[in-house]
Amino acid sequence: MATTAVETVRLTIDGVPVTVPKGTLVIEAARQTGVMIPHFCYHPKLKWDANCRMCLVEIEKMPKLQTSCSTPVAEGMVVRTATAVVNEAHKSVLEFILANHPLDCPVCDQGGRCDLQDFSHEYTPTTSRFIEVKRVFEKEYFSPLIETQMNRCVQCLRCVRYCDEVMDVKALAPVGRGTMTEIKHFTHHELDCEFCGGCVQICPVGAFTSRLSMYEFRPWMLKRADTICTYCGDGCQITIQTKENELIEVMSAHGAGRNNGDLCARGFFGYHATTHPDRLQHPLIRRNGQLIQTTWEEALEHVAETFTRLKLQHGPAAFGGLIASRCTNEDLYVFQKFMRLAIGSNRIDSSARYGHINGVRALRRVQGTHRWTVTFEDIVSADALLLVGTSLTETNPITGLKVKEAVKKQGAILLTIESLVPAVGTISNITNLATHHVSAHPEQFGNIVLGLIKAVIEEGLVDQALAQRATSYVQAISEAVRACPWPVIENATGATSSTLKETARTFARAARTIILVGQGVLRAPGGYGIVMNLLDLLLLTGKHDQPGCGLAPLAEENNDQGAVEMGTVAEFLPGPSDLNDRPARERIAGLWKEELPQGAGSTLIKMLEEARTGKIKAMLIVGENPVGSLPTGARAKEALEQLEFLVCQELFLTETAALAHVVLPACSYAEKDGTVTNTEGHVQQVRQAIEPIGESRPDWQILSALSGLLGYPLEYGESREILKEIRSLIPGYGLLGPAPTPPRPDQTVVDRYLREGYTEDLASRYSLAGEGQAERGSRKEGSFALVVGQTLFHSGKLSTRAKGLLQIQAAGFLGLNPANAQEIGVTEGDRVRISNEQGEMTTTVKLLDRVPEGLALFPEHFAEDRLTDQRR
Amino acid sequence: MKFKAWLKTIIFYEILIGMKATLMHLLHYKPITLQYPHEKRILPDSYRGMLALLRYDDGTEKCVGCDLCEAACPSRVIKVISAEVPDEPTKRFAKEYYMDMTRCLFCGLCVQACPVDALGMTREYEWAVYDKRQLLLNKGQLLAIGDRSYPVREKRLELQHPNVAFFNVAFKHLPPKES
Ligand code: SF4
Ligand code: SF4
Ligand code: SF4
Ligand code: SF4
Ligand code: SF4
Ligand code: FES
Repeated sequence: MATTAVETVRLTIDGVPVTVPKGTLVIEAARQTGVMIPHFCYHPKLKWDANCRMCLVEIEKMPKLQTSCSTPVAEGMVVRTATAVVNEAHKSVLEFILANHPLDCPVCDQGGRCDLQDFSHEYTPTTSRFIEVKRVFEKEYFSPLIETQMNRCVQCLRCVRYCDEVMDVKALAPVGRGTMTEIKHFTHHELDCEFCGGCVQICPVGAFTSRLSMYEFRPWMLKRADTICTYCGDGCQITIQTKENELIEVMSAHGAGRNNGDLCARGFFGYHATTHPDRLQHPLIRRNGQLIQTTWEEALEHVAETFTRLKLQHGPAAFGGLIASRCTNEDLYVFQKFMRLAIGSNRIDSSARYGHINGVRALRRVQGTHRWTVTFEDIVSADALLLVGTSLTETNPITGLKVKEAVKKQGAILLTIESLVPAVGTISNITNLATHHVSAHPEQFGNIVLGLIKAVIEEGLVDQALAQRATSYVQAISEAVRACPWPVIENATGATSSTLKETARTFARAARTIILVGQGVLRAPGGYGIVMNLLDLLLLTGKHDQPGCGLAPLAEENNDQGAVEMGTVAEFLPGPSDLNDRPARERIAGLWKEELPQGAGSTLIKMLEEARTGKIKAMLIVGENPVGSLPTGARAKEALEQLEFLVCQELFLTETAALAHVVLPACSYAEKDGTVTNTEGHVQQVRQAIEPIGESRPDWQILSALSGLLGYPLEYGESREILKEIRSLIPGYGLLGPAPTPPRPDQTVVDRYLREGYTEDLASRYSLAGEGQAERGSRKEGSFALVVGQTLFHSGKLSTRAKGLLQIQAAGFLGLNPANAQEIGVTEGDRVRISNEQGEMTTTVKLLDRVPEGLALFPEHFAEDRLTDQRR
Repeated sequence: MKFKAWLKTIIFYEILIGMKATLMHLLHYKPITLQYPHEKRILPDSYRGMLALLRYDDGTEKCVGCDLCEAACPSRVIKVISAEVPDEPTKRFAKEYYMDMTRCLFCGLCVQACPVDALGMTREYEWAVYDKRQLLLNKGQLLAIGDRSYPVREKRLELQHPNVAFFNVAFKHLPPKES
């Protein structure tokens, strides 16, 4: 961002001189001097509305009292916030509000943290001059999770404005006039929205409350723990509030964390997953084919004995390890250290393999960083944003909010290449905000990116400096894209060359551009190549090293980034450093005082293959559920059944854990301390909110205990000691600040890439994917391309144990475009049987305008009705 | 002077002064001990005895489970567990209510705090027990004390104050909160 000196203004508030930037509102300036002007409708996140008149102040030379929430400061202004006239005004406003306000405080969940209560205590006499009967609204059922009591509403419209301005959902509206204004949603059935909980959080009174925690608490009873949501890579800061070791509610304070107090449904309503009654409470051990309860001692000794025996028999390379990237950095670090030292195997992988690793590998190869070179702030202040295969609202809702803010408040241009089409729906749709949208079949993302690069070259948008600096690179790419003729691209992708050229021009013209790449690309076959090509696009347009520009792969799981940096993937050591990077190996070995194992790593898929063929005899799986989450779950099951010994550390008895010989109960994020690294590379603190459930223990403690029994003690007293060790390996890791300091692209790496690095796979990256296959639009009658993806209301399988989220979405569905549905004669709510080569199942149809024709959307979260199961 | 001091010493003057009241009673003997339990005192009007939970005249519990008594109590006697009334959606009540009377100071702060006058102090004081645990009272016991001590009951709030008509009512057309 440009760092021009900000113009400031001096004014006096209650006799205290204060200097603030020009354009600041009086209410904010007062806050800086420590004066809190009472207010209802003002909120720093929203545009001012000045409808409640609570914030009146006296300003010298102005004839009447002014609303401080809508008055910008001016040089020399003299503001008084506590004169008799002002107090009288506050009192009158409150008297009007209270004339209609019910005496609900004893039964109101806001009681004890209610702005109206506080201001009433401060300003009003205890008697009122009104004797009329109070206003009463007819009570309507609002929704299963959000409770409204419109009698308590002070009509500040914060909720309506939040839902529109910040969320872009527009689910709420004021209905009626004057005192009879009530907040409703637009339809007659119950509320159907993103359930972000924002309206609950922002309502200054108890008109909107959460039904999930209704009547379970009083604010003063709650114990708070500021921690990080573990449902997606955005890494929102949440405050878990507990009462006597029970989870009561989750909130996020304005100004807190990277999310600035905004949450999505999973964060706000999904917290009950960790205390689900099915949680494993004791270690389980397999006896006569049955998993039965046992003690920690017995379980750990059995694991240690068997590991030692198998290691003697088959060598350390016969061991494989898998860990979920939902674990903390500390867990991940200890896990890989355990596998590498106590076991001696490099066969390690984590769920970052599913997608995120592709982004990180591309970034490392082209620019030598393994993190974003941009931050959320850069997204907000970008001039143009290019989204490729993100399904942003569903997978990374808070990154989505940043994009919305950039577009709606800062006037950024949004370019989207998504499989969804613009359509107004009950949840927000990022493509609605796009100026240029290319609707792409999920298999065509790569081809569209090719088209964009072709357009850049043909339109002469290549950066002059780059053309001189890397002639052969530009030359090679130009030749490569020349081999992809427009008609073929147009035919395959369905996007016209003029659209792509226009998009490319807009992209190249903007000064600060960020490319956001989502799971649609990262998880796709060839995803790595597409990310590489997008980096080429940045390079070609000369934006690559510009401030505020960069490519940002979106992490799906909360600690995908950490998993890569802790070295729990097949190709990396902690750092991440390459597995065969000699100096790094020596440095790590020096710190660990132990030689690192030789031998290559195995990716998750390869490991399963090796298990099938008997190359791997034993596996340690921490929190990961390949049987449940891989599309080829049944094959994974077969493979794991071949193992001589399988140990799982789990929260629940998942499909994978059910195959294990020993299951060790692990703690969820709510029960342990640690750090996680979000998608933008910001390391944040996870803090314990409740005591461990049953006998469960944090993963690192289990591994630490096990390592002792194996004779390679990895001893840590608390998670902070592990972080200290991580810091000795990766200097400065996780210095917990308010915002990340992103790395800059490493110019030597970029130079190397431009000189020769690009050549090795150029040909394969720049060939049209799926060329020669059936043309677009020629799908068989009644057949659809199935897109298995995320929904906004769930994340992986864990969230399907959260009772709140189940009340929003309890089962899988098949999202179809209404036109398609009509074609095949089904409608909303119909049960349909769908099948593919892997299996068949029945599910319910849901009509979604945003699903393009020919596509069928299916959420990946629900185990009961998995299409990919081999059930016939 | 010396003689006066000497005299005071040998007749234990200070002790006599200290015992003056006692000695006076010795002379003007009038019994003040009551032969409890055969005789009982007349309690003053503001007597603060055993606590009780009260009901409205239609027999419903007054307590709405607001937890204010719990917050007001200086010695942590009270524990309220509030919830939605079963089959009466959005209506709040105390699902469980406990008083640990072993700790109660009989200060009456809870009674003052209660916004719906659901608590009362009775004139009961004969609560000597052999087992301390018998002084841990639950909602049923506290309501029973109220029932025997306050035979005259108030009307429901909305009938007393028509302009707060919508206080803690159930909405039958709403689904109950899922647990
Ligand atoms: S909104 Fe505030 S003032 Fe109104 S009943 Fe609830 S706690 Fe009381
Ligand atoms: S419901 Fe709450 S936030 Fe919305 S207008 Fe009423 S008082 Fe304001
Ligand atoms: S919960 Fe729903 S209605 Fe409330 S702000 Fe979020 S999207 Fe809007
Ligand atoms: S799921 Fe993601 S966006 Fe939603 S609250 Fe959690 S971290 Fe934030
Ligand atoms: S203060 Fe009164 S209404 Fe509130 S919980 Fe105590 S007894 Fe019940
Ligand atoms: S806060 Fe200023 S008018 Fe409402």
